[in-house]
Amino acid sequence: MMKQKITIGLLLLCCSLVSIQAQRTTSLRINEVLVINETNFVDEYGKNYPWIEIFNTSAGTVNIAGCFLTNDINQPRMYPIPKGDVLTKISPRQHVLFWADEKPWHGNFHLNFTLYPDKPNFIALFDSNGKTLIDSITIPYPQKADVSYGLLIDGWGQDRIDSEIKTNSAYKGGSKAWDYMTQVTPSTNNKILDTNEKIDNFLLNDPGGWGMTLTAMGVVFLGLIVLYLMFKLVGNIALNLSKKRAMKASGLTKEEAEGVTQQSSDIYAVIALAIYEATEMHDEENTILTIKNTARHYTPWSSKIYSLRETPHKK
Amino acid sequence: MDFLSFIIENLQTFWTYTGFANVTTGHMIMVLVGLVFIYLAIRYEFEPMLLIPIGFGILIGNIPFKDAGLQVGIYEEGSVLNILYQGVMQGWYPPLIFLGIGAMTDFSALISNPKLMLIGAAAQFGIFGAYVIALTLGFEPNQAGAIGIIGGADGPTAIFLSSKLAPNLMGAIAIAAYSYMALVPVIQPPLMRLFTTKKERVIRMKPPRAVSQTEKIIFPIIGLLLTCFLVPSGLPLLGMLFFGNLLKESGVTRRLAETARGPLIDTITILLGVTVGASTQATQFLTLDSIKIFALGALSFVIATSAGILFVKFFNLFLKEGNKINPLIGNSGVSAVPDSARISQHIGLEYDPTNYLLMHAMGPNVAGVIGSAVAAGILLGFLS
Repeated sequence: MMKQKITIGLLLLCCSLVSIQAQRTTSLRINEVLVINETNFVDEYGKNYPWIEIFNTSAGTVNIAGCFLTNDINQPRMYPIPKGDVLTKISPRQHVLFWADEKPWHGNFHLNFTLYPDKPNFIALFDSNGKTLIDSITIPYPQKADVSYGLLIDGWGQDRIDSEIKTNSAYKGGSKAWDYMTQVTPSTNNKILDTNEKIDNFLLNDPGGWGMTLTAMGVVFLGLIVLYLMFKLVGNIALNLSKKRAMKASGLTKEEAEGVTQQSSDIYAVIALAIYEATEMHDEENTILTIKNTARHYTPWSSKIYSLRETPHKK
Repeated sequence: MDFLSFIIENLQTFWTYTGFANVTTGHMIMVLVGLVFIYLAIRYEFEPMLLIPIGFGILIGNIPFKDAGLQVGIYEEGSVLNILYQGVMQGWYPPLIFLGIGAMTDFSALISNPKLMLIGAAAQFGIFGAYVIALTLGFEPNQAGAIGIIGGADGPTAIFLSSKLAPNLMGAIAIAAYSYMALVPVIQPPLMRLFTTKKERVIRMKPPRAVSQTEKIIFPIIGLLLTCFLVPSGLPLLGMLFFGNLLKESGVTRRLAETARGPLIDTITILLGVTVGASTQATQFLTLDSIKIFALGALSFVIATSAGILFVKFFNLFLKEGNKINPLIGNSGVSAVPDSARISQHIGLEYDPTNYLLMHAMGPNVAGVIGSAVAAGILLGFLS
């Protein structure tokens, strides 16, 4: 019993840890970087510094606090993003900006390292354990002043682009995930989504709706055919089991048992009703007679004492 | 200003706030519609659980008032009705209704004769028939998808999908879906007679076999895993439907199942019905699009019913004598549970007073619920 409880406890713990991890930081991506900031976006002190934009690709809010940003793979814990700041919570599909100005005392979003204009810059985001790499990028050298380097579509890394090229014929984008941006877009989308590509695609390729009809009905039929096959199989297994039970219980032959198990539920209903009326027993499972314990087990959840008010009375 | 003038001025101001001063023809038409709904529910008992809350909701939503920031209208942010309406807007009432439906549905008929699931799939042609026609009428694909789902004959699914794909059309879609569900006894019988011969109407089907408790427990688990792995976007509806069914069939969560199929579904039905009704404010609702949606809704029901019946006739070509399906249960593929199954029973009894089709019809009927939720998931995945 104790072992069972421990196993269940561990399973629940594992599940919760996995789900917490899934909702936490794995969906963060380094989205855009400006290495040489001469006249572009200024920080809250009015200064131009390099910056790094992080994007939350998920549909849930993610708190980046506790994670680490670094420009040195050998020092993954270089800048611990402070906890206790509400602004470290990144809303779904939103961005945060970190200033690489080596002035962490300017605020939680000011890093203790900078980016160098005269060499490639490695940037990495590590999880709060300081070991799990969430995302990294090496910004190539040289970089132009006031031109950022970023993901052409927010959150879409090279894996996603490759997958879209392979599987989505409607994908019209390029083959590169990272490139120099035509417009610098700090804390906003790299690609402005002013249309719904899916709907445009349907309007273009399936204006009459027949493609959708065929595809969707195909999927509906497929789903229900799979269910049908599965339950045909489950039904056959159940019938065979009942047959075996009947044979075992009453010493019937295979043919006789066949007859018993193929009976309709109407007959069982009549038998069950007769047994119930005569003895207050009933069938719950084919060919197995079950007698239910009618004793009421006490539980405070169903206790009337806790749900009824005491009747007022004079003392 | 003397006292009398003061009183008169106040009364004049008060008059501008009353419904009488703000009433329009649109309001009166909608009030009339609400009254018709209530009449149909009480006089003919057409889906009274739905038509009474919706009909009264229409009255609530169409009381004219001065737009003076009083926070009384359903579309005014922060008003009580607006807060209750969030469950519709955000799409969390429909999955809760599905939880209750799962907890009250007995899938035995379907499990004992799983081939009836295919009728539930065939009836979904109503959704896509209406989708094609809606596109022809100039609706955008996402709007056409939301309108098409009326053909699924499933109110919660229609509300869920339209809240995601075309929130501006949701009021009309919901009202159309529930109206036609209530009118199933009027729409379906003529089609059932039209597409079947007298010989077909008296086909006797094999009585369903007894289903073990184990099979009933396995059904929601496998059902969830198979359908949601195939169409994850149907998860909110299918997940709750199968969860509710497991609560019912597991045998160890009786109290939870009773709550889900009792007080919970009743509460949500009240809130859903009254807020959907109230969302039909004349100013938002009485448009040409609404009329088109009602016409398309009727068509989608006709297509769905016809497709179900014709599919059974087609299916019978491949079945041996003795295993044939009575095409009168084809109409039950639309998921208006259990009304369309009851219609199969009534029409079947008209032609053979000893041929009880109800249990057989319940199979495609609940398969229709699964089928329409899968179809909604597909539309959501493709068009959102």
